[in-house]
Amino acid sequence: MQADTQPLLSVRDLVIEFTTENGVVRAADGISFDVHENETLGIVGESGCGKTVTGLSILGLIPSPPGRVAGGSIRFMGRELVGLPDSEMRNIRGRDISMIFQEPMTALNPVFTVGNQMTDVLRRHRGLTRRQARDAAIEMLAKVGIPVPAKRIDEYPHQLSGGMRQRVMIAMALSCDPKLLIADEPTTALDVTTQAQVLEQIAGLQSEFKMAVVLITHDLGIVAETCRRAIVMYCGRIVENAAIERLFEAPRHPYAKGLLESIPRLRRERLDELPIIPGRVPNLLHLPPGCRFAARCPRADALCREQSPALVPAGPHGDFIACHHPHPGQQAEPAA
Amino acid sequence: MEILQYTVRKLISGIPLVLGVTLISFLLMVYFGPDKTYELLGKNPTAQEIAEVRTQLGYDQPFLVRYVDYLRELVTLEFGNSDSTGEDVASLLARTIPISLALTGPGFVLGNLLGVLLALFAAFYRSTWVDKAIMASAVVGMSISFLIVIIAFQIIFASSYGLGWFPVRGWSVHSFGDYLSYVAVPTMAMVFVALGYNTRFYRSVLVEEMTRDHVRTARAFGVPPAKLFYKNILKNSMIPIITRVVFSIPLVIISGSLLIESYFGIPGVGKITYDAIISGDQPVLKAVVGLTAILFVLAQLLTDILYRAVDPRISLK
Repeated sequence: MQADTQPLLSVRDLVIEFTTENGVVRAADGISFDVHENETLGIVGESGCGKTVTGLSILGLIPSPPGRVAGGSIRFMGRELVGLPDSEMRNIRGRDISMIFQEPMTALNPVFTVGNQMTDVLRRHRGLTRRQARDAAIEMLAKVGIPVPAKRIDEYPHQLSGGMRQRVMIAMALSCDPKLLIADEPTTALDVTTQAQVLEQIAGLQSEFKMAVVLITHDLGIVAETCRRAIVMYCGRIVENAAIERLFEAPRHPYAKGLLESIPRLRRERLDELPIIPGRVPNLLHLPPGCRFAARCPRADALCREQSPALVPAGPHGDFIACHHPHPGQQAEPAA
Repeated sequence: MEILQYTVRKLISGIPLVLGVTLISFLLMVYFGPDKTYELLGKNPTAQEIAEVRTQLGYDQPFLVRYVDYLRELVTLEFGNSDSTGEDVASLLARTIPISLALTGPGFVLGNLLGVLLALFAAFYRSTWVDKAIMASAVVGMSISFLIVIIAFQIIFASSYGLGWFPVRGWSVHSFGDYLSYVAVPTMAMVFVALGYNTRFYRSVLVEEMTRDHVRTARAFGVPPAKLFYKNILKNSMIPIITRVVFSIPLVIISGSLLIESYFGIPGVGKITYDAIISGDQPVLKAVVGLTAILFVLAQLLTDILYRAVDPRISLK
């Protein structure tokens, strides 16, 4: 999409389906985006919008059954990942692409020490000896700001605090020097001060390790602080893909605008009511034929209810939008 | 050292449990169990004769005295002689318990191993036809009565109507070959009956563990399936597995062998227990009931120690 360099990760028309008792559900439908080297991309949306499955699909971790990648392509460094045999995928997982998860409390194996789990990754992917792997693991733990790492390494996950465990996860994820880190709600389960520290850690390590980050979150504040570009997802689809400053100053998709307005913040005047987006997210089993946001959208008309808008380029800076009647945006360009 | 202290502490805390179980079972035996008095007397005994016999039997003693006597018997393992055969109960047990262990051991081990194996297949291929076929067969296996299975297997494998490969009943074991031929049909019956329950149980345990977050994390770091299985799934599912296996050991030894031994005419501890119940042989019953209670306490102790070995979150306190 940005034509200057070959993107590190390029996702095209990705479709992820889940078989449920009531029928097949498309958790992600026609997802396309690029991630460039050293870039941080945010994927934002409400719970259930498909952002987590999108992240999992990159590593081929969609729980199957009931889920599967039903179409599209995921290219990483020029290599197609969709349909790659599990044995080859395993060489990528944790080495070229790492992932950290939302729940630091349950994401580590409770019956093995931190060191055991970390050295496992290092020995598998970097072929280190036990001794070398242990030294490397201690070094990584020190890098993510764990005090007395030589002692902590022999502790079990339950002996560490939530923030500490998330740092262990980060240390483990970065131990093999990945090109891409997928962070799925990495700070949601942490308290606010720990959140800030962990985010700072990720940002610092990103520039040290020169890796790209896909940050999946529902928290727009985090996106504003850490990402250069963000994708807004709604109900399994991308509605807007824009550079952070444009997204926050002049969101073009009515959903993105509604989402931004509904953030509680300090305002000059006291509002009677926090602006909310009226209505509810449609059931993925009974989607409307047209735009999925139409029923809640103040700008919707007959066209929106009948015809689903495609994700099309908007403006000269590599932004994309899927809306029949977008807000004018900064330069008031007409929608393509 | 920590383990030793813990063991001693657990053994001490098991004492009230043994006391409780033995007290209740002794109470039942004394007030509702068989009364030997009239068996030993002739027709139309006088009140004095009755009293004499009761004194001989110790029935005139207060309950507490009799109970303490019973406890002493348990501790010293001297239960007196069997009422029906006159054999010393301790040597009776020493003769029959090894037979029962040899009889039920293979079925128990095989039933659990095959159960884990089938459960693994079902869990790995869950919600495919492999899973459905295994689970449907498990329900079928569970639904057939143990008695029918025993009789059917005797006919199929041991009788002249069927294959006639193995002896139908008895236990005249003089060599390992004899042992195998006598143990084969009971083992098959035990495995057949236990397999359905075991497979269903192990499948649910494995599936629950497979869907945990840490398993997904391990996959995200490229852990290969075999390692995923033993490091993330198996070790984490050990607690329910240990509980089930260890707690079924006393049941298998005593009650499990009860039916098998009486149907196959095997002189194990189940058979003598069955006979003792039928004939009201109190010395044997008291010994079996008391030892079963102790066995359960030991099983509990063993599970607690094993828990600690597999899960660092459990402390020995």
